[in-house]
Amino acid sequence: MKDSDTSAQLPLSATQNKGAEIVKLPSPDRSDARHSQPGSSDDGELITSSEPRRRYLWYALYFPQLNALSKVQEARVLSELARLVESVSSTVNFHPQALVCEIRSSLKYFGGVDSIHNKLKSLITPALEERKLGDYFFYSASPTVSSSLLLARSGQNILVYQKENLRSALGQLSTDVLSLDKEQGRRLYSMGVRKIRDIWRLPPDGLHKRFGSDFVTLLGKALGIVPEPTRNYVAPPAFATAYDLPYEIENLDRLLPIIDEMLLRLCNFLRKRDLSASYLVLSLIHEQRGRTEVDMGLRQPSRSPDHLLSLIETHFSNLIVPAPIIGLKLRVKQFDAFISNSDSLLIEERTDRRSDSIGDKNLDQFMEQLHARLGGDALKSINTAAEHCPEYAAQQLNYEDSKAQTPAAGVASNPRPFWLLDEPVQLTQKGKRLYHRQVITLVSGPERIETYWWSGQDILRDYYIARERNGSRLWVFRERSGERNWFLHGYFS
Amino acid sequence: MTTFKDSVARLETDIGKAFSEVNHNKRATPRARVNKLLHSNPNLWRGCDMAGQGFHGISTGYPELDGILPGRGWPQSGLVEIVSRHWGMGELQLLIPLMRSIIEQGKWILLIAPPYILYAPALTQAGIDIHQILIVKQDTSCKDALWSMEKAMQTKNCGLVLAWQNWLPGRVLRRLQLAAETSGTLGMLFKHNDSKHSPSPLRLQIKGSAPEDSSFAAAEVTVIKARGNFRPLSTQLDLYQDSLSA
Repeated sequence: MKDSDTSAQLPLSATQNKGAEIVKLPSPDRSDARHSQPGSSDDGELITSSEPRRRYLWYALYFPQLNALSKVQEARVLSELARLVESVSSTVNFHPQALVCEIRSSLKYFGGVDSIHNKLKSLITPALEERKLGDYFFYSASPTVSSSLLLARSGQNILVYQKENLRSALGQLSTDVLSLDKEQGRRLYSMGVRKIRDIWRLPPDGLHKRFGSDFVTLLGKALGIVPEPTRNYVAPPAFATAYDLPYEIENLDRLLPIIDEMLLRLCNFLRKRDLSASYLVLSLIHEQRGRTEVDMGLRQPSRSPDHLLSLIETHFSNLIVPAPIIGLKLRVKQFDAFISNSDSLLIEERTDRRSDSIGDKNLDQFMEQLHARLGGDALKSINTAAEHCPEYAAQQLNYEDSKAQTPAAGVASNPRPFWLLDEPVQLTQKGKRLYHRQVITLVSGPERIETYWWSGQDILRDYYIARERNGSRLWVFRERSGERNWFLHGYFS
Repeated sequence: MTTFKDSVARLETDIGKAFSEVNHNKRATPRARVNKLLHSNPNLWRGCDMAGQGFHGISTGYPELDGILPGRGWPQSGLVEIVSRHWGMGELQLLIPLMRSIIEQGKWILLIAPPYILYAPALTQAGIDIHQILIVKQDTSCKDALWSMEKAMQTKNCGLVLAWQNWLPGRVLRRLQLAAETSGTLGMLFKHNDSKHSPSPLRLQIKGSAPEDSSFAAAEVTVIKARGNFRPLSTQLDLYQDSLSA
């Protein structure tokens, strides 16, 4: 039972550049064994309490080099490192320029702090080097998150097993590790406080008054007197599922039942995490021929298996596979938060009021299907533009691009036809008569349009409303320059 | 089957009620009672009338046309064929009041592979919100266009689907008609030639009158076929009642 200060609080060889080494600690088994001995003086209090206190060992990794990065970059690097740290602990949380993870629960599995440290080092050093951030980091472990952080910041790579030893371990640290602001640091310095140990000699009330509650809470947290809530790192969601077919399949329709099952799995996954998928990739794997990938970007994130299946079915309807398929893989490229429509309680109300939102969803689904089958530029919306020239006064936009729709511009007050020809068609003129398919007679006009004189391609036209003998109402114009030809430009349909 | 039974049962009670009211209250004109009854139930119509669904259509906006259509207007749902030998006979102008009312309901109008560019300024002039109109591009193949039409008609928020196709086999028309009827959407099919034995419940032909003898705005609409109709009817319309004076 020699868990004295010297053995529990281990100043590891102070030169961090040489690579600090952790001195062997009382092994977890031993501490467990000691646990069960009622007579032991240290843990007497543990045993007397009805249930054993949960004990933690927080391992802090401190990266002083991250200070040079911006906040956003720092957060990104930390979350990437957190993913690596997750391989030794399920509880990883973020702190400024540092990560802290709980390792007590995995000590036995990995076989001690040493091997955990070596594992982390082998993972993190290459990751840091890859980002040109040096190959070093400070670390320490102790029963509370805050004290681990303080110890790591001191750069001494200390390991403290027992809560009781925290006080003396922290006491010898310089007050710099508290990362106080300038004013507080100056005040502490002028009070003659150099080490944390000195702070503990001061009366707590006075500390509270002079340095604020945050300061006192921080010290309390470090000693494990004040509870410290933590927020854990949650890995970004990822979903991929695969299915190997028992035999080759060429008919895509026969894949649908399998895909249905995969989609069910996906939708279960999404429901559990309250997410919806907005970009899916379905890979059809061929033997020796690579794979055919079906990309599906969704207009509205969805997690309805029926909708997704009908989309895949639409994609399949004009998909030609180069070879028989031996396997399937479904992957989600992009997730989105799930937003649900609330249904009303009363059926009547649902049919009346809710029809709009439900219908809108259906319209979106229809557009997705259209997109899947006919391509992205199939759906157009129309708009008007403030232009004199008839062909420029109307716009036809891809529906996707027209999301930020400009309000319709004013339109001419003279009558305009519903149909406009892509290109004006020249009319034939025999004597005094005009012909398209049949004889044309002018009904009203002219409406003179002159524009684009500045561009070199002047538009000088006289527009007339005319009728063909068969009854068609036409919009024709005569050029006022050059050949003075007649053209058909639209139909009053 | 149950729906049919239900409607028969409802009819019987309705008629019974009407008769008892006629008997009990001699002062109320029986004609008014009968009219009320006709208005109340779409399954009930006058035998000598040109049949149809009573007064349950959507008004076309042209009183003359309402007068010759079963149900006094466009059907609530289903496939309508509009035959026009050439474009420019006023076939779109005929639908303008309908389009306006559909957009007012907040529904969308979808045009599938129209023959020319739909000219936005003209629609704005006609008082239609062009942001509620979507177009499937012009050079869509026939197969894709029909697929889009069927899907669009199954979409709840599409109030009106317009398509331009000639020579569709009866099987295809039946399928479109079914899609429209089951989802309660109205589909309009524009074509150059009339195909006999088409399963669509309403077929119209629109002709522009000869330019020499009548005004620019006049058009002649003939009902080639209307479900439950006995004889072809036709009427003269003034297409541009307020706008576009010739």
